[in-house]
Amino acid sequence: MDFAGFLITQCLNALSQGALLFFLAVGLTLIFGIMRIVNFAHGAFFMLGAYVGYSAVHLTGDFWAALILAPLAVAAAGAAFELGILRRLYGRDGGAFLMVTFGLTLVLADLIRLTWGVAALEVPAPASLSGVVFILGEPFPIYRLFLVAAGGVVAFGGWQFLERTRLGLLIRATSQNAEMVHALGTDIRLVRSTVFGIGCGLAGIGGVLAAPLVTASLGMGPNAVIDTFVIVIIGGMGSFAGSVIGALLVAFVQVFGTYYFPDLALAFMYLIMVTVLVIRPGGLLGKEA
Amino acid sequence: MTIRLGLLAAVLLLALAPLGLPIYAMTLLTEALILGLFAMSLDLMVGYTRLLSFGHAAAYGLGAYAAGNLLLHTAIPLVFAVVLAALLSGVVAIGVGWVCTLATGVSFSMLTLAFAQLLYAVAFKWTAVTGASDGLAGIPRSAGPFGMTAFQGKTGFYYLVLIFLLLAFVLCRALVNSPFGAVLRGIRENESKTRALGYNTRAYKVAVVAIAYGLGGLAGALYAPFAGFANTELLYWLFSGQVLIMVIVGGAGTLIGPILGAGFFLLVQQYLSVYTDSWALFFGLVFIAFVLFVPQGIWGLATARLGRAGRR
Repeated sequence: MDFAGFLITQCLNALSQGALLFFLAVGLTLIFGIMRIVNFAHGAFFMLGAYVGYSAVHLTGDFWAALILAPLAVAAAGAAFELGILRRLYGRDGGAFLMVTFGLTLVLADLIRLTWGVAALEVPAPASLSGVVFILGEPFPIYRLFLVAAGGVVAFGGWQFLERTRLGLLIRATSQNAEMVHALGTDIRLVRSTVFGIGCGLAGIGGVLAAPLVTASLGMGPNAVIDTFVIVIIGGMGSFAGSVIGALLVAFVQVFGTYYFPDLALAFMYLIMVTVLVIRPGGLLGKEA
Repeated sequence: MTIRLGLLAAVLLLALAPLGLPIYAMTLLTEALILGLFAMSLDLMVGYTRLLSFGHAAAYGLGAYAAGNLLLHTAIPLVFAVVLAALLSGVVAIGVGWVCTLATGVSFSMLTLAFAQLLYAVAFKWTAVTGASDGLAGIPRSAGPFGMTAFQGKTGFYYLVLIFLLLAFVLCRALVNSPFGAVLRGIRENESKTRALGYNTRAYKVAVVAIAYGLGGLAGALYAPFAGFANTELLYWLFSGQVLIMVIVGGAGTLIGPILGAGFFLLVQQYLSVYTDSWALFFGLVFIAFVLFVPQGIWGLATARLGRAGRR
């Protein structure tokens, strides 16, 4: 086997995995940055994205339509939950939010089971993205290349959105001093609902994109949320760049760890997390200890 | 006063329960007491120190696997095996507590969850000790010491669980009413202030994590010979969430509330399972409602009512 080809395909594997994890982590970290809330249901929204994506693909027959419709539906569900439930909790400590969103996780997972059943559902990749390309003689799925590109586009787009748009400015300002933004005449509550919706929608995009790779199944939510927690703890809660770095770090450790030390791969991820915590308790790019 | 009399009556009723209840109900009651012990141990962290653990299943699983291995592979008497397993869980928790208390607030919660998931993953791989996905089966209730067989039968085992629960309750109660407990409440209300008063809050937090895991491990260690098996489900994050529901619905920071919460949870689960398998939907909604509207829990609400009535 050509080692260079192997190395490149493994790196691309890790990058595509990192892209999926990034969609989860960036939403979680965005929500935390603005609202000081850890959304336990983030994995459930990811899973919801995959299942709604499955139905949308079957209804419209078009993966691209599903990739737009399903995240919008997930974002709407997230915003509705913020409006209906979370809004009543502002002023309580962070634990209350964690518990309520845990309750939502149970509810969503059960509703998904009742709606779509327990069997894993296959979502076909669009025809233009199925098949493989050869990189230095190694076959590599085109769909994974697409994931790398999608992750890169959203990471760059998200960064530009936060830096250059008015809503981005509001979001950054709110994360620094919500009361001041409110005093200057912006309806903070609207910003919060919007951000919670956007964060959940990003998880939804991740869900739709993950579905052709891993099928839509009831196990995907819990696994996703724990990986995401590890990523944001490593990267720093509330840090956009931290979520990129954390997602890539965890993805590379998962992919290469699974290849070289299949029994220890998981422990590596936690070992990195503990090391980061000991050195920088707030995470690599986090502000708070 | 009313509450103390009520407690005494409750203990008496529990002690006499085997005389009147059918076998099926006794099995359920034994499990309820084990879960009650488990929930009460978590209350030390959640209710008294505001250390919200989302990974308390780790303690239960550690205890269960440790007791299971001791009972399967050695001739150590049941009672000693259970106590040893609880100690092991408590000792492991010193390390866990040290790492998790590097962070505060919600990060602490996420770390406890991550640690429990790490154990869950390890349990799947470490076949020699955990039996991987098959788990440990046929865990016996070994006799002794001195050839004593009193705890082997269903009723005897029930009394063993009851005794452990009462001992643990007395211990927890003494703990929360001691100066140590006062520091824990200080951490709950305002950690920086408590630290400014000269207390090493981190050491106190590690200590309470160790005690909570020790007692949680005791519950798990009792469950293994009760059920006769131990599997990875005992380490799963869902179970950590369930015990948190028991604590909050029952009433955090009351010790008794979480025990009631465990009983309530088990009863409703049994009842629901006859009609539907959607227990998660039900408990998810109940949990959200309690966090939103009744954060003091059932017992907190009841004692507040009693207290008001007493003052009138």
